[in-house]
Amino acid sequence: MTTEGEGKAIQIEDLVVRYGDRQVIDHLSLGVAAGEVYGLLGGNGAGKSTTLQAILGFVSPTSGRVRVVGLDPSAEPVGVRRAIAYIPENVALYDHLSARENVDYFLRLARLRPEQDEMEAAFRTVGLAEEAWSRPVSGFSKGMRQKTAIALALLRRASVLLLDEPTSGLDPGATADFNALVSRLRGEGAAILIVTHDLIGVADIADRIGFLEKGRIGDEMVAEGPDRFDLRALHDRFARVRAA
Amino acid sequence: MSVILSVAHNELRHLVRSRVALTGLILVALLTFAAALTSQAYQADQAALRERLQHAADEDFEAQPNRHPHRVVHFGHFAIRPASGLAAMDPGVEAYTGNMIFLEGHRQNSANFGDARQSSLLVRFGQLSPALVLQVIAPLLLVFIGAGMVAGERERGTLRQSLLAGVSGGALLAGKGLALGAAALVISAPAFALLLWLGVSSAARLSAVALSAGGYLAYLAFWTLLIIAVSATARRSRSALIALVGAWTFAVVLTPRVSPEIAAALAPLPTRVETDIAVQRDLRAMGDSHNPNDPYFAAFKQKTLKAYGVERVEDLPVNYRGLLALEGEKLTSSLFNRYSNQAFAAMEAQGRVMDALVVVSPTVAIRRLSMTLSETDLFAYRLFLEQAEAYRYDLVQRLNRLQATAVTAADDAAKSKSASAEARSRISAEYWRAMPHFDPARPSAADVMGRALPALAALLFWVVAGALFAAQAGRRLNRSAA
Repeated sequence: MTTEGEGKAIQIEDLVVRYGDRQVIDHLSLGVAAGEVYGLLGGNGAGKSTTLQAILGFVSPTSGRVRVVGLDPSAEPVGVRRAIAYIPENVALYDHLSARENVDYFLRLARLRPEQDEMEAAFRTVGLAEEAWSRPVSGFSKGMRQKTAIALALLRRASVLLLDEPTSGLDPGATADFNALVSRLRGEGAAILIVTHDLIGVADIADRIGFLEKGRIGDEMVAEGPDRFDLRALHDRFARVRAA
Repeated sequence: MSVILSVAHNELRHLVRSRVALTGLILVALLTFAAALTSQAYQADQAALRERLQHAADEDFEAQPNRHPHRVVHFGHFAIRPASGLAAMDPGVEAYTGNMIFLEGHRQNSANFGDARQSSLLVRFGQLSPALVLQVIAPLLLVFIGAGMVAGERERGTLRQSLLAGVSGGALLAGKGLALGAAALVISAPAFALLLWLGVSSAARLSAVALSAGGYLAYLAFWTLLIIAVSATARRSRSALIALVGAWTFAVVLTPRVSPEIAAALAPLPTRVETDIAVQRDLRAMGDSHNPNDPYFAAFKQKTLKAYGVERVEDLPVNYRGLLALEGEKLTSSLFNRYSNQAFAAMEAQGRVMDALVVVSPTVAIRRLSMTLSETDLFAYRLFLEQAEAYRYDLVQRLNRLQATAVTAADDAAKSKSASAEARSRISAEYWRAMPHFDPARPSAADVMGRALPALAALLFWVVAGALFAAQAGRRLNRSAA
């Protein structure tokens, strides 16, 4: 597992992002260590997407610092992205390609040479039905696209995972499978940042949860004990942050 | 490099699986093939026809019986322009200028001067040729294929996904450019095959073939780079398409059509009627060799008598009528040459304006380059006219000298009254059989290359500009794929 600098795979310090006169991120600081799942919880307009954009190097900080595996995404966006596997809410795939061709292509873009056996194993792991592997993805459901993207993330063996509303639109069974996969990747040492507004969903897998509101972390909770999070307390604190 | 090839492979796979794009590609490739085939067949026929016609004209001229040399002057001759090596690739101005001139005494035929309106026609689109397909249709098809290559991916979200896989914007655009370039090569392959054929079949200079191929590759490379850069810059594929069709309209349709008008406005050419009137006026002012009181020819007579040391025309050792014909031809030819040179000077000035416009449109640059290398431009046409005129003048003066030396003054003067004098004034047909044939030289390789260089440099400028635009678009892509 690659962690540099302050020992966190993702390190955000005092980040400020402005779009013109509008301040979207307000002195945000957070860190995600290797083998940790961090849930960034926030409502619409809280700054979740901008935070992700800053981590991915699509937005430059107005001030503050972002580091991913020790690299500055503003200065080295391509290097940072090679270290990250990103699964968006709506997975975009090439409709003219099959799931197998999509994964193969994206892996080649990441300078990886996938073995067919590995690819098939990844598809099996994410629960993508075998008959779908060679079908054009134009007919795939949202869940199947999500599974394809997760298979890709597995094969990327990235040290950092960014998940944007990953269980949105998935049925309960698929959500449980997804959570199991995330746990497995955490066990393998990946630093995982989940950005979501699904409080209950993220409570199942996150080690820490930060409440993002108006571009800053209003509160943070750490999983404790076998029940990890007290959902009622989680809900109350989230509501307090939003009301503040 | 492997990433660039992967992107290119994916694009080509998309192209092949997208029936519409593939169909368009195949149709335009077939069109280029048809243009190459028909153009080559037409030019081969033309070359054979012109050779036959010149041969027939030579035979007709030589088949004249014994006759008075001045009748041979009026019998006339034909000068036919041989087909140029790369005319099958780019017929250039040939379709508008004509390729045959009737040569006769006392005048240069008006076709030599050209029509003032002709200068604007010279650069208009004409018959279907590989040059036309590559210059006009190929960029348009590339626009339709490539406008959505990046912008479409942006709309579908796959652009962001690709960049997040860790590929740089530059590598992504290079891969897409490679795929679009491959499509351009498919479209243009029949034209390049024709060029190669013309090169190996010795019909054209290899240097011209190589530069022509290089010019067209540069032209298509420019369009490829522009299309990819615009597609990467536009937020939507529709916006990219509109912008690119606009650029195509400006560069390929508007500028080449408007530029001759601009050139004509800046360097006006007198109309044919104006030229004809001016020539007639000057001819009248020049003098009349048949009028004994004409001051010029009276002076000429005195000069001649003095030169031969005699008092009367009848005492001259040569036929004075022949000397008059020689002098008259010299005068009228110098007058015609003056007007011809003025017309060509104006056309050259127009050409310089057109040369300057290569920085406005790469299509103007490739047209100039292609016509120059194909030897179907105005320069090659002018060279033919000048050689035809030189041949005409030489032929007529040879005949006038024969009148002066081989026909006696007495027979010449009495031929309309005396049958025996008329018979003696007919000289042997062997004289015309011994006349040289019209054998025009092609523009020299150095001339062609020298004239091609500015357009070639302009094309390279456009390629560099396109590459810089694409590189900047690639860098911007790294920062924003939304």
